[in-house]
Amino acid sequence: MTENKQWEPKIVAFCCNWCSYGGADTAGMGRFQQPASLRIIRVMCSGRIDPLHVFNAFLEGADAVLVTGCHLGDCHYVNGNYKTQVRYDFMEDMVKELGLEPERLHLSWISASEGEKFANFVREVTEQVRKLGPSPLKPEGVN
Amino acid sequence: MAQSEINDDTKNTDEPRIGVFICECGVNIGGVIDCHAVADYAGTLPDVIRSSVNKYTCSDSGQSEIKQAIKDNNLNRVLVAACTPKTHEPIFRACVEEAGLNPYLFEFVNIREHCSWIHMQEKEAATEKACELVRMGVSRASKLEPLQSNEVPVTNTALVIGAGVAGMQSALDIADMGYKVYLVEKNPSIGGKMAQLDKTFPTNDCSICILGPKMVEVARNKNIELMTYSEVEEVDGYVGNFKVKVRHKARYVDVNTCTGCGLCVEKCPVEVPNTEFNEGIGTRKAIYVPFPQAVPLRAVIDKSVCIDCGACSRACSSNSIIMEQEDTFSELDIGVIVVTAGFDVYDPEPTHDFGYGLYDNVITGMELERLINASGPTMGKVVRPSDVKPPKKVGFIQCVGSRDKKRNRYCSSFCCMYALKDAQLIREKYPDSEVYIMYMDMRTPFRNYEEFYDRARDMGIRFIRGKPGKVTENEDNGLKVRVEDTLTNDIIDLDLDLLVLSVGAVSSESTERIRQILKVSRAADGFLMEAHPKLKPVDTTLDGIFIGGVSQGPKDIPYSVSQGSACAARATRYLAQGKAITEGITVEVNPDICVACGICVPMCPFQALSIEDGKLNIIKALCKGCGTCAVACPTGALQQNHFRNDQLLAQVKNVFTFEE
Amino acid sequence: MVEVGDKVIGYSTDPGVRNKGASGGLVTAILAAALEKGLVEEVVVLKHINEYEAIPIITSDVEDVLASAGSMHTVPVNLAKYAIGKNVAMPGKPCDIRGVIEQAKRNEVNIDNTYLIGLNCGGTMYPVQTREMLINMYDIDPEDVTGENIEKGNLIFRTKSGEEKGISIDELEEAGYGRRLSCRYCDVKIPVNADLACGNWGVIGELTGNATFCEVMNEKGVRLLENAIDAGYVEIEPASDKAITIREKVNNVMLSMGEKWSEKVFTEIPDGERTQYYMEQFADCINCGACKEICPVCTCGEDSKCTMYHNLEDNYRMSMFHMVRLMHLSDSCIGCGQCTDVCPVDIPLTTIFRRFADKSQKKYNYKAGMTLERPPFLEVMPR
Repeated sequence: MTENKQWEPKIVAFCCNWCSYGGADTAGMGRFQQPASLRIIRVMCSGRIDPLHVFNAFLEGADAVLVTGCHLGDCHYVNGNYKTQVRYDFMEDMVKELGLEPERLHLSWISASEGEKFANFVREVTEQVRKLGPSPLKPEGVN
Repeated sequence: MAQSEINDDTKNTDEPRIGVFICECGVNIGGVIDCHAVADYAGTLPDVIRSSVNKYTCSDSGQSEIKQAIKDNNLNRVLVAACTPKTHEPIFRACVEEAGLNPYLFEFVNIREHCSWIHMQEKEAATEKACELVRMGVSRASKLEPLQSNEVPVTNTALVIGAGVAGMQSALDIADMGYKVYLVEKNPSIGGKMAQLDKTFPTNDCSICILGPKMVEVARNKNIELMTYSEVEEVDGYVGNFKVKVRHKARYVDVNTCTGCGLCVEKCPVEVPNTEFNEGIGTRKAIYVPFPQAVPLRAVIDKSVCIDCGACSRACSSNSIIMEQEDTFSELDIGVIVVTAGFDVYDPEPTHDFGYGLYDNVITGMELERLINASGPTMGKVVRPSDVKPPKKVGFIQCVGSRDKKRNRYCSSFCCMYALKDAQLIREKYPDSEVYIMYMDMRTPFRNYEEFYDRARDMGIRFIRGKPGKVTENEDNGLKVRVEDTLTNDIIDLDLDLLVLSVGAVSSESTERIRQILKVSRAADGFLMEAHPKLKPVDTTLDGIFIGGVSQGPKDIPYSVSQGSACAARATRYLAQGKAITEGITVEVNPDICVACGICVPMCPFQALSIEDGKLNIIKALCKGCGTCAVACPTGALQQNHFRNDQLLAQVKNVFTFEE
Repeated sequence: MVEVGDKVIGYSTDPGVRNKGASGGLVTAILAAALEKGLVEEVVVLKHINEYEAIPIITSDVEDVLASAGSMHTVPVNLAKYAIGKNVAMPGKPCDIRGVIEQAKRNEVNIDNTYLIGLNCGGTMYPVQTREMLINMYDIDPEDVTGENIEKGNLIFRTKSGEEKGISIDELEEAGYGRRLSCRYCDVKIPVNADLACGNWGVIGELTGNATFCEVMNEKGVRLLENAIDAGYVEIEPASDKAITIREKVNNVMLSMGEKWSEKVFTEIPDGERTQYYMEQFADCINCGACKEICPVCTCGEDSKCTMYHNLEDNYRMSMFHMVRLMHLSDSCIGCGQCTDVCPVDIPLTTIFRRFADKSQKKYNYKAGMTLERPPFLEVMPR
C-alpha cells in the first residue's frame, strides 16, 4: 500500500448465496475481467441485507455499496427479495437525503447464470464512482 | 416433529485460534496471486495462529494438513482461501468436523472466482485484494460460533412430476427400490412427447412400441400411484417433509369403470382439431381417448367444447360418464421430489419463421412425426397439407428457433438427429423422393449417431450447408427456397413440395409453473437450473428436489432416461437413510433484548415466528435461515446464526484499513 | 344512538364540571363515565401544578379526573407511553394519539381496550418561554393568568381581573416566542386518528365557551360517548352545518399556517451540501441517548440496533446511532418534537428526522400514527 498510489474506489457488495454470489462465481468461471474494486460479503438471502450493514459500509469508507439478489420471483425463500426491494427503496431515499450521489448505491438482480452481467455491473459502477471521487462519508485516513 | 441434535461438539471456542490455508489451486490461483505473500500477511492478523500455502487445499494431502494443524496448534477456527463455497464449503466443513471441530467454525474465502480469475492481468492488485479478502474472512472467523445441525426424519415417499419417459424411468427406479411413488401427469395419459414420435434414432425402432410396454409397467407397478390429468398445486415444507397438494382435474368419466372401448367417442357429435396429440392435424371428439396406447386407456371429456348432449352417456354401457364430476384434491406427505415436467416444441407461428403459418406446406418436425406415424391422422402417409398429395421434394431447415440470437441461443441438441431420421423415413417410404437438409452444422455425437448421419448420406439425402434466407410460395403451393451453400458459395434455389422446420425445444409453461411453486432456479435459457453443471447435474439447490429430462435442458431420449434414473438414485439416498440433516443456520432471539413487538412475525414466509405469552417463539424446523426477519427487528434481538450482525459488520470493517 | 361519523356538540350534565373549564366539561365527563362504568380501569389525565405546568398521571380515582387540568398549551410532553400495557382512556393531542397508535403497531398497546379522546391542537408552548413572553410581549404578570385560548390566530390570555389580551401568533413567533417549532409545521390539527375528535372549533352562538365539538371516529368512539350518555354524564346535540363549516375553516387556517412554516423550515439544502450539513448537526451529539429514550414511537429497550453497533472509537463522520435512528424513523416519525426538546446540546433532531420522514411518508402515502397500517419499511411486498 504505497503512499502516492492513485485513489481507487472501494465498493462493498452484498450478495445472496443462491443467485448473485453464484453470478460472481460464474463471472469468474467465464474469466470476465473486472476492476479490483469490489469486496463481496455473502449472505444467505438479499432479504438479510440490513440498512445497518449498508450504512455501516458507507461510514467505514465504502465509495459505493451494491445490494444484489435473485431476480424477483426467483427467491429461494419465497419473497426475500421483495422485502429487499422495499428496504432498498428506503435506503435509496436516505442516501439521497444524506446528500450522497445516487450512483453510490445500487440494486441489481443477478442470477447465478449471469456472470457477464455481474462483471459488467461491477465495471459500470466502478467507472461511475471513479468519476465521483471518494465518498464524503469516508473517514480521513481510511483506504 | 422428532428431532435429535447432533454435532454437539463445541470445544475450544473461547479464544479464537485461527488456522489459515491459502490454496494455489495449481496455477488457477497461484498463477495470478502471490499466495505466499497472502499467507504471510494472514500470519500478521489478530487471532491467526498459523498460515500456509497448499498446492490444492481440497486434495487429500491438503485436507490432512488441515486436520494435522488443528491437532498440532489446537486450532478452533479454520479459514481456507480457495475457490467458491458453493462447491467446496461442504468438503471443508466435513474435513474440520473429522478433526473434531464444529463445522460452522470453518470460514471460506473465495480468491479464485472472485479474485484470480477476474484480475488475471493485475497480479499485484489481485494479491492485495486477496489479502483484504482474507482479512475480512479472518475477522469473521474470529466471531464464528458453533452451530448444531438438526436431523429430520424423511417420509419414505417420492413425488415425480411429469410422466414423460424421464419421469416414468425415475418413478420405476424409485418404485423398484421399494418406495412408494406418486407419479403426477397433467395430461390424461402418461407417455409425454416420446409417445407422439414415430421412430427413434439411431436405431429407427418404433417409438410407441418401446415406450408402450414401459407405460404399462408404470401402471402395473404396485409402488407407483399414478395420478393422470392431475397437477401439483401447492408444495410446502422441506426435505423429507413436503406437504403436496395435487388437483385431480375432472375427466367427467369414471376411470374405475371406463374400459376405453371408444363407443362414446363414436357417438359424440362434436369434432375439434386434435391439438393435444396430433399437432392440430386431423380431429378428435369432445370426448376422446388420447391415443390408442394411452395409459390409462380411459376417455376424457373436453368440457370447453362439449355441448352436453348426452350422446356419450347413452352410448356408454358401463355408465361411466359423470357430467357433474368436479375437480378433487389430494394432500400428500412426500419425502423427495423429482421434476421431469418436460418441454414445449418451439412454435414458429408467431414470428412466421420461414413462412410457417403463412404457407400451408411449411410444417414443423413434430407435425411431420404425426404425419409419418402409422397411427397418425394420415395413417402414416406423408402428405402436403395443401392438397393431401405425397410430396416429391422435401426440404428440412435446421436450427429453427435454436442457435439464433433473436430466438434462443442454445442448441436444442436433438433436431439434427430427428431430421436425419425423418429424412431417412421419407426416403424409405418414397424412394423416388428428393430430400434436402439445410443446416449450419450437423451435430451427431454419441454412439452410432455419426454412423446414422453416414447412412443418411448413403441413402442419397442431400445436405446443403446454409440457412435459407428466403422462402416464398409458388402458384401450386410449392415452396421456393433460396439458400447459400456456404461450402461452395453457390446460391441455390430449391423448389420444394414440403418444407419441414426442425424446431427445437423451449421450456414449457408447466415446467415454469412447477418451478415457481418449488422455487427452483431457472437458467438464462428458461430451463431448470441444476445445482452444479458437472458434479450435481440433477440436483437443485434445494435439498430433496431433483430435476431431469428436458425440463432441465434440451436432450434426447437416452439422455433423458439416464437423468430419470439419476434423479431416482439421488432422491432415494434420502429415502434409504430415512433422515436428512437440515441447515444449522437458523435465526435465534436474544430474550433479554427482544421486546416482543411482533414486527418480525409477518416477515417470515415459513410461519416460523409467533408471539406467544408475550414472547417471541421460533419454530426452528420451519426456519430456513434466510435472515430477513432479523432486518425487520428494531432491537437487534433477532439474529441469523452464522450471519449475525457482528459477523457481517466485522467483514465490512475489515474491507478498509486505517492509516494515521 | 351514536354512530360512527356523527358530529355533535356536547357538554357535561354536571354544572360544576361544565363551568369549570372553557369547553363545557365534555371530555372530563366522558373520562369520568368511562372510569365509573368500568369501560376502562384507569385514565390518563394532567395533574395541575400551576397555570403553566402539569404532570401526566394514571389514575383510577374519579376525583383526580374531575380535578384535572384539562387541556393546556404549555404541556409539551407526549403521553403515548402512559398507555402502554394498560386498559386506559386517554385524552391527548394528535401527536399523543399518533404515538399510541405506533405503540399499538409494536404490540405495546392493546388498541382494542385503549380509548383515545383526541383534542384539537394548534400547537404547544414551553412553560418557561411562555412566562417570559407574558412579561415581554403581553405585559402581564405570569402569576395573574387564569386561562389561555387560541382563537382566530391569536393567543389570548385571561387574567384574574377578568381582562383578556390577545396577540397574533405570527407576531409572537416572529419575536421568537409562541409555539414549539415542531407544532408550527405540524399537519394534524384535528385528531382524526383518535376514537373521538374533540375541541372547541365549531362551538358557536350561545354554546361558545361551555360546550365541545366532538366527532365520532370509530366504534370505540361510539362506545365512549354512548357510555357517558347512558350514565347520564353527558348531553349531546347534533352539530349544525354552520358549526361543522366553521370547524373545518379553523382547521384549514391552522393547516395552511402549518404549511407556510413547513416551507420556511424545510428549505431544500443543495445537493452538494447536505452531507456536510447533517454531519455538522450531529457533530455536537454527546451520546446521551435521551432522544431515543423519549421517542414515543420507539419500543426498544436499552439495547437496540441503534445503540448496539454504535461505538465512539469508530470515529465515523456520522454515528451509527443516528444513522439507524434516521432509518427507523423515516417511516415512523410522528413529528412530536420530543427529541428536540430533550436534546441537551440543542440538535434540531425533529427537524432533521422530518427532513427524511416527510419525503418517505409522502412517497408511500403514509402518515405515521394515523392508522394501524404497517409502516412501509416493514412491508413484505413493495407498494
